[in-house]
Amino acid sequence: MSESRLGTVLGYLAGFALLFLVWHLAATWLVRSALFPGPLPVLERAWALIEDDILQEQVLASLRRILQGFLIGSAVGIPVGLAIGSFRPVRALLEPWTEFFRFIPAVAMITVSVIWFGIGEESKVFLIAYTTVFVVIIATAAGVGAVARDKIRAAQCLGASRLQIFALVALPATVPYILTGMRLAMANAFVTIVAAELVASNDGLGKMLWDARLFMQIEDIFVALLALGLLGFTTDRLFRLAIRAFAGRFNPTM
Amino acid sequence: MGGRGLALVALDQVGKTYAGRGGAWEAVRSFTLDLQEGEFFCLLGTSGCGKTTLLNMLAGFERPTAGRILLDGASVSGPGADRGVVFQGHDSLFDWLTALDNIGFGLRLRGMGRRERREKAGHFLKLVGLSGQEGKHPSELSGGMKQRIQIARALAADPRILLMDEPFGALDALTRATLQGELSRIWKETGKTVFFITHDIEEACALATRIGVMTRGPGGTLKAVIPVDPPFPRDRTSDGFMAVFRQVHALIHAELAA
Repeated sequence: MSESRLGTVLGYLAGFALLFLVWHLAATWLVRSALFPGPLPVLERAWALIEDDILQEQVLASLRRILQGFLIGSAVGIPVGLAIGSFRPVRALLEPWTEFFRFIPAVAMITVSVIWFGIGEESKVFLIAYTTVFVVIIATAAGVGAVARDKIRAAQCLGASRLQIFALVALPATVPYILTGMRLAMANAFVTIVAAELVASNDGLGKMLWDARLFMQIEDIFVALLALGLLGFTTDRLFRLAIRAFAGRFNPTM
Repeated sequence: MGGRGLALVALDQVGKTYAGRGGAWEAVRSFTLDLQEGEFFCLLGTSGCGKTTLLNMLAGFERPTAGRILLDGASVSGPGADRGVVFQGHDSLFDWLTALDNIGFGLRLRGMGRRERREKAGHFLKLVGLSGQEGKHPSELSGGMKQRIQIARALAADPRILLMDEPFGALDALTRATLQGELSRIWKETGKTVFFITHDIEEACALATRIGVMTRGPGGTLKAVIPVDPPFPRDRTSDGFMAVFRQVHALIHAELAA
Protein backbone atom coordinates (compact mmCIF):
# COMPACT_ATOMS: atom_id res chain seq x y z
CA MET A 1 0.00 0.00 0.00
CA SER A 2 1.50 3.31 -1.01
CA GLU A 3 1.73 6.18 1.42
CA SER A 4 -0.94 8.23 -0.34
CA ARG A 5 -3.31 5.24 -0.45
CA LEU A 6 -2.79 4.72 3.29
CA GLY A 7 -3.49 8.41 3.83
CA THR A 8 -6.75 8.10 1.92
CA VAL A 9 -7.87 5.13 4.01
CA LEU A 10 -6.99 6.91 7.26
CA GLY A 11 -8.86 9.98 6.01
CA TYR A 12 -11.96 7.90 5.29
CA LEU A 13 -11.81 6.28 8.74
CA ALA A 14 -11.49 9.68 10.39
CA GLY A 15 -14.33 11.02 8.24
CA PHE A 16 -16.66 8.21 9.26
CA ALA A 17 -15.63 8.58 12.90
CA LEU A 18 -16.49 12.27 12.70
CA LEU A 19 -19.86 11.47 11.10
CA PHE A 20 -20.69 9.10 13.95
CA LEU A 21 -19.53 11.63 16.52
CA VAL A 22 -21.70 14.41 15.05
CA TRP A 23 -24.61 12.00 14.90
CA HIS A 24 -24.05 10.97 18.52
CA LEU A 25 -23.81 14.57 19.73
CA ALA A 26 -26.89 15.59 17.75
CA ALA A 27 -28.90 12.70 19.17
CA THR A 28 -27.84 13.11 22.78
CA TRP A 29 -27.65 16.93 23.08
CA LEU A 30 -29.54 18.55 20.25
CA VAL A 31 -32.61 16.53 19.31
CA ARG A 32 -33.08 14.23 22.28
CA SER A 33 -36.09 12.44 20.84
CA ALA A 34 -37.08 8.80 20.65
CA LEU A 35 -37.58 9.42 16.93
CA PHE A 36 -33.88 10.16 16.40
CA PRO A 37 -31.76 7.41 17.93
CA GLY A 38 -28.03 7.86 18.31
CA PRO A 39 -25.43 5.58 16.74
CA LEU A 40 -25.05 3.32 19.77
CA PRO A 41 -28.62 1.96 19.97
CA VAL A 42 -28.66 1.68 16.16
CA LEU A 43 -25.44 -0.34 16.07
CA GLU A 44 -26.78 -2.47 18.90
CA ARG A 45 -29.91 -3.16 16.90
CA ALA A 46 -27.85 -3.85 13.79
CA TRP A 47 -25.83 -6.42 15.70
CA ALA A 48 -29.01 -8.13 16.89
CA LEU A 49 -30.36 -8.24 13.34
CA ILE A 50 -27.07 -9.68 12.10
CA GLU A 51 -27.11 -12.35 14.80
CA ASP A 52 -30.60 -13.37 13.71
CA ASP A 53 -29.44 -13.49 10.05
CA ILE A 54 -32.09 -10.91 9.16
CA LEU A 55 -29.93 -8.02 8.00
CA GLN A 56 -27.75 -10.22 5.78
CA GLU A 57 -30.84 -11.63 4.12
CA GLN A 58 -32.23 -8.20 3.27
CA VAL A 59 -28.87 -6.94 2.05
CA LEU A 60 -28.32 -10.00 -0.13
CA ALA A 61 -31.83 -9.77 -1.58
CA SER A 62 -31.23 -6.17 -2.65
CA LEU A 63 -27.69 -6.77 -3.89
CA ARG A 64 -28.71 -9.79 -5.94
CA ARG A 65 -31.34 -7.77 -7.77
CA ILE A 66 -28.96 -4.88 -8.33
CA LEU A 67 -26.28 -7.17 -9.72
CA GLN A 68 -28.62 -9.04 -12.06
CA GLY A 69 -30.27 -5.93 -13.44
CA PHE A 70 -26.97 -4.12 -13.66
CA LEU A 71 -25.34 -6.91 -15.67
CA ILE A 72 -28.29 -7.19 -18.04
CA GLY A 73 -28.41 -3.42 -18.50
CA SER A 74 -24.68 -3.22 -19.18
CA ALA A 75 -24.73 -6.21 -21.53
CA VAL A 76 -27.37 -4.45 -23.63
CA GLY A 77 -26.06 -0.92 -23.17
CA ILE A 78 -22.43 -1.43 -24.20
CA PRO A 79 -23.04 -2.89 -27.69
CA VAL A 80 -25.87 -0.46 -28.38
CA GLY A 81 -23.68 2.45 -27.28
CA LEU A 82 -20.84 1.23 -29.49
CA ALA A 83 -23.20 0.98 -32.46
CA ILE A 84 -24.62 4.47 -31.85
CA GLY A 85 -21.13 5.93 -31.52
CA SER A 86 -19.79 4.16 -34.60
CA PHE A 87 -22.55 4.43 -37.18
CA ARG A 88 -24.33 7.64 -38.03
CA PRO A 89 -27.58 5.99 -39.24
CA VAL A 90 -27.80 3.97 -36.02
CA ARG A 91 -27.32 7.15 -34.03
CA ALA A 92 -30.07 8.92 -35.95
CA LEU A 93 -32.38 5.96 -35.43
CA LEU A 94 -31.73 5.26 -31.75
CA GLU A 95 -30.99 8.69 -30.33
CA PRO A 96 -34.71 9.49 -29.99
CA TRP A 97 -35.02 6.32 -27.89
CA THR A 98 -32.25 7.20 -25.48
CA GLU A 99 -33.22 10.86 -25.33
CA PHE A 100 -36.86 9.94 -24.70
CA PHE A 101 -36.43 7.22 -22.09
CA ARG A 102 -33.71 8.90 -20.11
CA PHE A 103 -36.27 11.50 -19.02
CA ILE A 104 -38.60 8.81 -17.69
CA PRO A 105 -36.96 7.86 -14.39
CA ALA A 106 -36.98 4.25 -13.25
CA VAL A 107 -39.09 5.30 -10.25
CA ALA A 108 -41.84 6.33 -12.65
CA MET A 109 -41.66 2.91 -14.28
CA ILE A 110 -42.33 1.05 -11.00
CA THR A 111 -46.08 0.99 -11.58
CA VAL A 112 -45.95 -0.55 -15.06
CA SER A 113 -43.18 -2.83 -13.98
CA VAL A 114 -45.30 -4.27 -11.17
CA ILE A 115 -48.32 -4.59 -13.45
CA TRP A 116 -46.21 -6.43 -16.06
CA PHE A 117 -43.96 -8.55 -13.86
CA GLY A 118 -45.70 -8.73 -10.48
CA ILE A 119 -43.95 -8.10 -7.17
CA GLY A 120 -41.38 -10.90 -7.61
CA GLU A 121 -37.77 -10.64 -8.72
CA GLU A 122 -38.50 -9.84 -12.35
CA SER A 123 -39.99 -6.42 -11.74
CA LYS A 124 -36.99 -5.30 -9.67
CA VAL A 125 -34.43 -6.71 -12.09
CA PHE A 126 -36.27 -5.01 -14.95
CA LEU A 127 -36.17 -1.66 -13.17
CA ILE A 128 -32.46 -1.91 -12.39
CA ALA A 129 -31.71 -2.95 -15.97
CA TYR A 130 -33.84 -0.03 -17.18
CA THR A 131 -32.02 2.50 -15.02
CA THR A 132 -28.64 1.06 -16.07
CA VAL A 133 -29.03 0.70 -19.80
CA PHE A 134 -29.48 4.32 -20.86
CA VAL A 135 -26.66 5.68 -18.75
CA VAL A 136 -24.31 3.03 -20.15
CA ILE A 137 -25.48 3.66 -23.72
CA ILE A 138 -24.90 7.40 -23.50
CA ALA A 139 -21.48 7.07 -21.83
CA THR A 140 -20.32 4.43 -24.33
CA ALA A 141 -21.49 6.39 -27.37
CA ALA A 142 -19.78 9.52 -26.03
CA GLY A 143 -16.58 7.50 -25.56
CA VAL A 144 -16.58 6.28 -29.14
CA GLY A 145 -17.12 9.85 -30.33
CA ALA A 146 -14.20 11.08 -28.23
CA VAL A 147 -11.54 8.79 -29.74
CA ALA A 148 -8.80 11.13 -30.95
CA ARG A 149 -8.70 11.52 -34.73
CA ASP A 150 -4.93 11.08 -34.75
CA LYS A 151 -5.25 7.63 -33.14
CA ILE A 152 -7.42 6.45 -35.99
CA ARG A 153 -5.17 8.08 -38.56
CA ALA A 154 -2.08 6.52 -36.99
CA ALA A 155 -3.70 3.09 -37.21
CA GLN A 156 -4.63 3.73 -40.86
CA CYS A 157 -1.02 4.62 -41.65
CA LEU A 158 0.09 1.36 -40.07
CA GLY A 159 -2.24 -0.51 -42.41
CA ALA A 160 -5.26 -1.13 -40.20
CA SER A 161 -8.55 -2.24 -41.75
CA ARG A 162 -11.86 -0.78 -40.59
CA LEU A 163 -12.49 -3.82 -38.41
CA GLN A 164 -9.00 -3.60 -36.91
CA ILE A 165 -9.50 0.08 -36.16
CA PHE A 166 -12.74 -0.71 -34.34
CA ALA A 167 -11.44 -3.69 -32.36
CA LEU A 168 -7.90 -2.52 -31.64
CA VAL A 169 -8.28 1.26 -31.37
CA ALA A 170 -11.85 2.51 -30.89
CA LEU A 171 -12.91 -0.20 -28.46
CA PRO A 172 -9.96 -0.04 -26.03
CA ALA A 173 -9.98 3.77 -26.20
CA THR A 174 -13.64 3.68 -25.11
CA VAL A 175 -13.19 1.36 -22.10
CA PRO A 176 -12.69 4.17 -19.54
CA TYR A 177 -15.93 5.81 -20.69
CA ILE A 178 -17.81 2.52 -20.44
CA LEU A 179 -16.55 1.92 -16.91
CA THR A 180 -17.46 5.45 -15.87
CA GLY A 181 -20.95 4.99 -17.30
CA MET A 182 -21.31 1.74 -15.37
CA ARG A 183 -20.22 3.44 -12.19
CA LEU A 184 -22.89 6.13 -12.60
CA ALA A 185 -25.44 3.45 -13.43
CA MET A 186 -24.55 1.58 -10.25
CA ALA A 187 -25.29 4.68 -8.17
CA ASN A 188 -28.66 4.98 -9.92
CA ALA A 189 -29.34 1.32 -9.23
CA PHE A 190 -29.13 1.90 -5.47
CA VAL A 191 -31.69 4.68 -5.67
CA THR A 192 -34.00 2.60 -7.82
CA ILE A 193 -33.87 -0.62 -5.80
CA VAL A 194 -35.00 1.09 -2.60
CA ALA A 195 -37.90 2.80 -4.33
CA ALA A 196 -38.95 -0.43 -6.03
CA GLU A 197 -38.76 -2.47 -2.82
CA LEU A 198 -40.64 0.20 -0.89
CA VAL A 199 -43.57 -0.09 -3.24
CA ALA A 200 -43.71 -3.79 -3.85
CA SER A 201 -41.50 -6.50 -2.44
CA ASN A 202 -41.29 -9.37 0.01
CA ASP A 203 -37.74 -8.66 1.13
CA GLY A 204 -34.77 -6.36 0.62
CA LEU A 205 -33.60 -3.18 2.32
CA GLY A 206 -36.47 -1.13 0.89
CA LYS A 207 -38.98 -3.59 2.28
CA MET A 208 -37.19 -3.45 5.63
CA LEU A 209 -37.53 0.34 5.65
CA TRP A 210 -41.23 0.09 4.84
CA ASP A 211 -42.00 -2.52 7.49
CA ALA A 212 -40.04 -0.62 10.14
CA ARG A 213 -42.11 2.47 9.38
CA LEU A 214 -45.36 0.50 9.71
CA PHE A 215 -44.35 -0.82 13.12
CA MET A 216 -42.53 2.34 14.21
CA GLN A 217 -39.25 0.48 14.70
CA ILE A 218 -37.14 3.57 14.39
CA GLU A 219 -33.84 1.76 15.03
CA ASP A 220 -34.57 -0.64 12.17
CA ILE A 221 -35.08 2.28 9.81
CA PHE A 222 -31.70 3.66 10.77
CA VAL A 223 -30.05 0.27 10.39
CA ALA A 224 -31.42 0.02 6.85
CA LEU A 225 -30.25 3.56 6.02
CA LEU A 226 -26.81 2.83 7.44
CA ALA A 227 -26.58 -0.39 5.44
CA LEU A 228 -27.55 1.42 2.23
CA GLY A 229 -24.97 4.12 2.72
CA LEU A 230 -22.19 1.68 3.51
CA LEU A 231 -23.09 -0.64 0.64
CA GLY A 232 -23.23 2.18 -1.87
CA PHE A 233 -19.98 3.63 -0.61
CA THR A 234 -18.20 0.27 -0.76
CA THR A 235 -19.51 -0.59 -4.23
CA ASP A 236 -18.49 2.79 -5.61
CA ARG A 237 -15.00 2.50 -4.14
CA LEU A 238 -14.63 -0.97 -5.62
CA PHE A 239 -15.66 0.43 -8.98
CA ARG A 240 -13.14 3.20 -8.70
CA LEU A 241 -10.43 0.70 -7.84
CA ALA A 242 -11.42 -1.39 -10.86
CA ILE A 243 -11.35 1.65 -13.13
CA ARG A 244 -7.89 2.52 -11.80
CA ALA A 245 -6.63 -1.03 -12.25
CA PHE A 246 -8.04 -1.56 -15.73
CA ALA A 247 -8.05 1.93 -17.08
CA GLY A 248 -5.70 4.02 -14.99
CA ARG A 249 -3.15 3.94 -17.71
CA PHE A 250 -5.77 4.84 -20.30
CA ASN A 251 -6.50 8.08 -18.57
CA PRO A 252 -4.46 9.17 -15.56
CA THR A 253 -6.99 11.84 -14.55
CA MET A 254 -9.58 9.25 -13.61
CA MET B 1 16.61 16.94 -59.58
CA GLY B 2 16.43 13.70 -61.50
CA GLY B 3 13.94 12.60 -64.10
CA ARG B 4 10.25 12.54 -63.40
CA GLY B 5 9.97 8.78 -63.51
CA LEU B 6 12.66 8.21 -60.92
CA ALA B 7 11.13 10.22 -58.11
CA LEU B 8 9.83 8.36 -55.05
CA VAL B 9 7.05 10.90 -54.63
CA ALA B 10 5.76 13.22 -57.32
CA LEU B 11 3.45 16.09 -56.42
CA ASP B 12 2.05 17.44 -59.64
CA GLN B 13 0.15 20.75 -59.63
CA VAL B 14 -1.49 19.75 -56.36
CA GLY B 15 -4.20 22.06 -55.05
CA LYS B 16 -6.73 21.94 -52.23
CA THR B 17 -9.78 24.15 -51.93
CA TYR B 18 -12.27 23.77 -49.10
CA ALA B 19 -15.91 24.55 -49.73
CA GLY B 20 -16.86 26.43 -46.58
CA ARG B 21 -19.96 28.31 -45.46
CA GLY B 22 -18.23 31.61 -46.07
CA GLY B 23 -17.36 30.59 -49.64
CA ALA B 24 -14.50 28.53 -51.02
CA TRP B 25 -11.15 28.68 -49.23
CA GLU B 26 -7.97 27.78 -51.03
CA ALA B 27 -5.39 26.14 -48.76
CA VAL B 28 -2.82 24.98 -51.34
CA ARG B 29 -2.35 26.14 -54.92
CA SER B 30 -0.55 24.36 -57.73
CA PHE B 31 2.18 22.73 -55.68
CA THR B 32 4.75 20.78 -57.70
CA LEU B 33 7.68 18.86 -56.19
CA ASP B 34 9.58 15.59 -56.64
CA LEU B 35 11.01 13.76 -53.64
CA GLN B 36 14.01 11.52 -54.22
CA GLU B 37 14.68 8.28 -52.44
CA GLY B 38 16.78 8.74 -49.29
CA GLU B 39 16.57 12.52 -49.05
CA PHE B 40 15.52 14.55 -46.01
CA PHE B 41 13.18 17.23 -47.28
CA CYS B 42 12.06 20.00 -44.95
CA LEU B 43 9.02 22.02 -45.95
CA LEU B 44 9.14 25.39 -44.28
CA GLY B 45 6.39 27.96 -44.14
CA THR B 46 4.58 30.48 -41.99
CA SER B 47 1.49 29.33 -40.11
CA GLY B 48 -1.56 29.00 -42.34
CA CYS B 49 0.49 28.52 -45.53
CA GLY B 50 -1.03 25.09 -46.17
CA LYS B 51 1.96 22.89 -45.27
CA THR B 52 -0.03 20.61 -42.96
CA THR B 53 -2.77 20.31 -45.58
CA LEU B 54 -0.09 19.20 -48.00
CA LEU B 55 1.19 16.54 -45.60
CA ASN B 56 -2.37 15.35 -44.98
CA MET B 57 -2.86 14.90 -48.72
CA LEU B 58 0.45 13.06 -49.02
CA ALA B 59 -0.58 10.80 -46.12
CA GLY B 60 -3.94 10.22 -47.79
CA PHE B 61 -6.05 11.74 -44.99
CA GLU B 62 -7.35 14.35 -47.41
CA ARG B 63 -7.73 14.35 -51.17
CA PRO B 64 -6.40 17.04 -53.46
CA THR B 65 -9.03 19.01 -55.36
CA ALA B 66 -6.53 19.64 -58.16
CA GLY B 67 -3.48 17.85 -59.54
CA ARG B 68 -2.22 14.45 -58.44
CA ILE B 69 0.15 12.77 -56.02
CA LEU B 70 2.17 9.72 -57.09
CA LEU B 71 4.11 7.36 -54.84
CA ASP B 72 6.37 4.96 -56.74
CA GLY B 73 4.39 5.95 -59.81
CA ALA B 74 1.01 4.96 -58.33
CA SER B 75 -1.66 7.48 -57.43
CA VAL B 76 -2.22 8.08 -53.69
CA SER B 77 -5.89 7.51 -52.85
CA GLY B 78 -5.92 7.00 -49.07
CA PRO B 79 -3.76 6.30 -46.06
CA GLY B 80 -1.55 3.23 -46.20
CA ALA B 81 1.36 1.48 -44.54
CA ASP B 82 3.75 2.68 -47.27
CA ARG B 83 3.68 6.16 -45.69
CA GLY B 84 4.49 6.39 -41.98
CA VAL B 85 3.27 9.50 -40.16
CA VAL B 86 4.64 11.14 -37.02
CA PHE B 87 2.01 13.48 -35.62
CA GLN B 88 2.52 16.78 -33.84
CA GLY B 89 0.79 15.91 -30.55
CA HIS B 90 0.67 12.75 -28.48
CA ASP B 91 -2.98 11.91 -29.19
CA SER B 92 -1.95 9.34 -31.76
CA LEU B 93 -0.30 7.00 -29.25
CA PHE B 94 -2.30 4.04 -27.96
CA ASP B 95 -2.49 4.82 -24.24
CA TRP B 96 -3.53 1.30 -23.25
CA LEU B 97 -0.44 -0.31 -24.80
CA THR B 98 3.13 -0.33 -23.51
CA ALA B 99 5.88 1.49 -25.38
CA LEU B 100 6.95 -1.81 -26.95
CA ASP B 101 3.42 -2.76 -28.01
CA ASN B 102 2.85 0.72 -29.47
CA ILE B 103 5.94 0.27 -31.60
CA GLY B 104 4.90 -3.25 -32.62
CA PHE B 105 1.30 -2.25 -33.46
CA GLY B 106 1.83 -2.17 -37.23
CA LEU B 107 3.53 -5.58 -37.11
CA ARG B 108 0.60 -6.97 -35.13
CA LEU B 109 -1.81 -5.74 -37.82
CA ARG B 110 0.14 -7.82 -40.33
CA GLY B 111 -0.30 -10.91 -38.20
CA MET B 112 3.32 -11.20 -37.11
CA GLY B 113 3.75 -13.60 -34.18
CA ARG B 114 4.25 -12.27 -30.67
CA ARG B 115 7.87 -13.30 -30.26
CA GLU B 116 9.08 -12.06 -33.62
CA ARG B 117 7.09 -8.86 -33.13
CA ARG B 118 8.60 -8.13 -29.74
CA GLU B 119 12.06 -8.77 -31.09
CA LYS B 120 11.60 -6.44 -34.04
CA ALA B 121 9.85 -3.75 -31.98
CA GLY B 122 12.68 -4.03 -29.46
CA HIS B 123 15.15 -3.24 -32.21
CA PHE B 124 13.35 0.01 -33.04
CA LEU B 125 12.90 0.83 -29.35
CA LYS B 126 16.66 0.67 -29.05
CA LEU B 127 17.14 2.65 -32.26
CA VAL B 128 15.22 5.62 -30.80
CA GLY B 129 17.09 5.35 -27.49
CA LEU B 130 14.28 4.07 -25.29
CA SER B 131 15.95 0.91 -23.94
CA GLY B 132 14.60 0.11 -20.49
CA GLN B 133 11.26 1.88 -21.13
CA GLU B 134 9.60 -0.96 -23.07
CA GLY B 135 7.07 -1.80 -20.33
CA LYS B 136 5.93 1.77 -19.67
CA HIS B 137 2.69 3.25 -20.87
CA PRO B 138 2.57 6.60 -22.71
CA SER B 139 1.12 8.39 -19.67
CA GLU B 140 4.29 7.47 -17.78
CA LEU B 141 6.63 8.94 -20.40
CA SER B 142 7.82 12.49 -21.08
CA GLY B 143 6.84 14.46 -24.18
CA GLY B 144 10.18 13.77 -25.84
CA MET B 145 9.93 10.03 -25.15
CA LYS B 146 6.43 9.95 -26.62
CA GLN B 147 7.73 11.44 -29.86
CA ARG B 148 10.48 8.83 -29.90
CA ILE B 149 7.82 6.13 -29.65
CA GLN B 150 5.94 7.68 -32.55
CA ILE B 151 9.09 7.67 -34.68
CA ALA B 152 9.88 4.04 -33.76
CA ARG B 153 6.27 2.98 -34.38
CA ALA B 154 6.29 4.52 -37.85
CA LEU B 155 9.71 3.06 -38.73
CA ALA B 156 8.84 -0.44 -37.49
CA ALA B 157 6.15 -0.70 -40.16
CA ASP B 158 8.94 -0.16 -42.73
CA PRO B 159 7.27 2.58 -44.81
CA ARG B 160 8.67 3.94 -48.09
CA ILE B 161 8.64 7.45 -46.65
CA LEU B 162 8.34 9.04 -43.22
CA LEU B 163 6.00 12.04 -43.01
CA MET B 164 6.58 14.26 -40.01
CA ASP B 165 4.24 17.12 -39.08
CA GLU B 166 6.11 19.52 -36.77
CA PRO B 167 6.93 16.57 -34.51
CA PHE B 168 9.07 18.57 -32.09
CA GLY B 169 6.96 21.74 -32.07
CA ALA B 170 5.53 21.18 -28.58
CA LEU B 171 8.84 20.28 -26.88
CA ASP B 172 11.13 22.51 -24.85
CA ALA B 173 14.23 23.86 -26.63
CA LEU B 174 16.74 21.45 -25.08
CA THR B 175 14.65 18.33 -25.72
CA ARG B 176 13.98 19.58 -29.24
CA ALA B 177 17.68 19.98 -30.01
CA THR B 178 18.41 16.50 -28.63
CA LEU B 179 15.67 14.90 -30.69
CA GLN B 180 16.80 16.72 -33.82
CA GLY B 181 20.24 15.18 -33.38
CA GLU B 182 18.70 11.74 -32.77
CA LEU B 183 16.45 12.01 -35.81
CA SER B 184 19.41 12.94 -37.99
CA ARG B 185 21.28 9.89 -36.74
CA ILE B 186 18.26 7.61 -37.26
CA TRP B 187 17.79 8.94 -40.78
CA LYS B 188 21.42 8.15 -41.56
CA GLU B 189 21.18 4.68 -40.04
CA THR B 190 17.95 3.66 -41.74
CA GLY B 191 18.34 5.48 -45.04
CA LYS B 192 14.62 6.35 -44.99
CA THR B 193 13.22 9.18 -47.07
CA VAL B 194 11.84 11.88 -44.78
CA PHE B 195 9.33 14.64 -45.52
CA PHE B 196 9.42 16.99 -42.55
CA ILE B 197 7.22 20.00 -41.91
CA THR B 198 8.32 22.83 -39.65
CA HIS B 199 8.18 26.58 -39.17
CA ASP B 200 11.54 26.57 -37.39
CA ILE B 201 14.29 27.75 -39.76
CA GLU B 202 17.14 26.46 -37.61
CA GLU B 203 15.49 23.04 -37.36
CA ALA B 204 15.18 22.85 -41.14
CA CYS B 205 18.81 23.91 -41.66
CA ALA B 206 20.02 21.34 -39.13
CA LEU B 207 18.12 18.37 -40.57
CA ALA B 208 17.43 18.81 -44.28
CA THR B 209 19.25 17.88 -47.41
CA ARG B 210 16.82 20.21 -49.21
CA ILE B 211 14.55 22.90 -47.85
CA GLY B 212 11.36 23.96 -49.58
CA VAL B 213 9.99 27.37 -48.66
CA MET B 214 6.30 28.04 -49.14
CA THR B 215 4.58 31.30 -49.94
CA ARG B 216 2.19 32.81 -47.43
CA GLY B 217 -1.36 31.44 -47.27
CA PRO B 218 -4.11 31.24 -48.28
CA GLY B 219 -3.36 29.40 -51.47
CA GLY B 220 0.23 28.70 -50.44
CA THR B 221 2.57 27.16 -52.98
CA LEU B 222 6.25 26.28 -53.31
CA LYS B 223 8.34 29.44 -53.54
CA ALA B 224 11.88 28.05 -53.66
CA VAL B 225 13.88 24.90 -53.03
CA ILE B 226 17.31 25.30 -51.46
CA PRO B 227 19.88 22.51 -51.29
CA VAL B 228 21.60 22.26 -47.89
CA ASP B 229 25.16 21.07 -48.32
CA PRO B 230 27.02 21.27 -44.97
CA PRO B 231 28.03 17.75 -43.83
CA PHE B 232 26.37 15.86 -40.99
CA PRO B 233 26.52 16.14 -38.03
CA ARG B 234 25.98 19.82 -38.62
CA ASP B 235 27.78 22.52 -36.71
CA ARG B 236 25.16 25.21 -36.18
CA THR B 237 27.83 27.86 -35.76
CA SER B 238 29.74 27.05 -38.97
CA ASP B 239 29.84 29.54 -41.84
CA GLY B 240 28.18 27.09 -44.22
CA PHE B 241 25.26 26.60 -41.82
CA MET B 242 24.92 30.34 -41.27
CA ALA B 243 24.90 31.03 -44.99
CA VAL B 244 21.98 28.64 -45.55
CA PHE B 245 20.20 30.02 -42.50
CA ARG B 246 20.49 33.59 -43.82
CA GLN B 247 19.25 32.58 -47.26
CA VAL B 248 16.18 30.77 -45.88
CA HIS B 249 15.57 33.49 -43.32
CA ALA B 250 15.43 36.10 -46.06
CA LEU B 251 12.93 34.03 -48.08
CA ILE B 252 10.63 33.47 -45.08
CA HIS B 253 10.74 37.06 -43.93
CA ALA B 254 9.93 38.29 -47.38
CA GLU B 255 6.71 36.25 -46.99
CA LEU B 256 5.99 37.66 -43.55
CA ALA B 257 6.46 41.21 -44.85
CA ALA B 258 4.52 40.64 -48.05
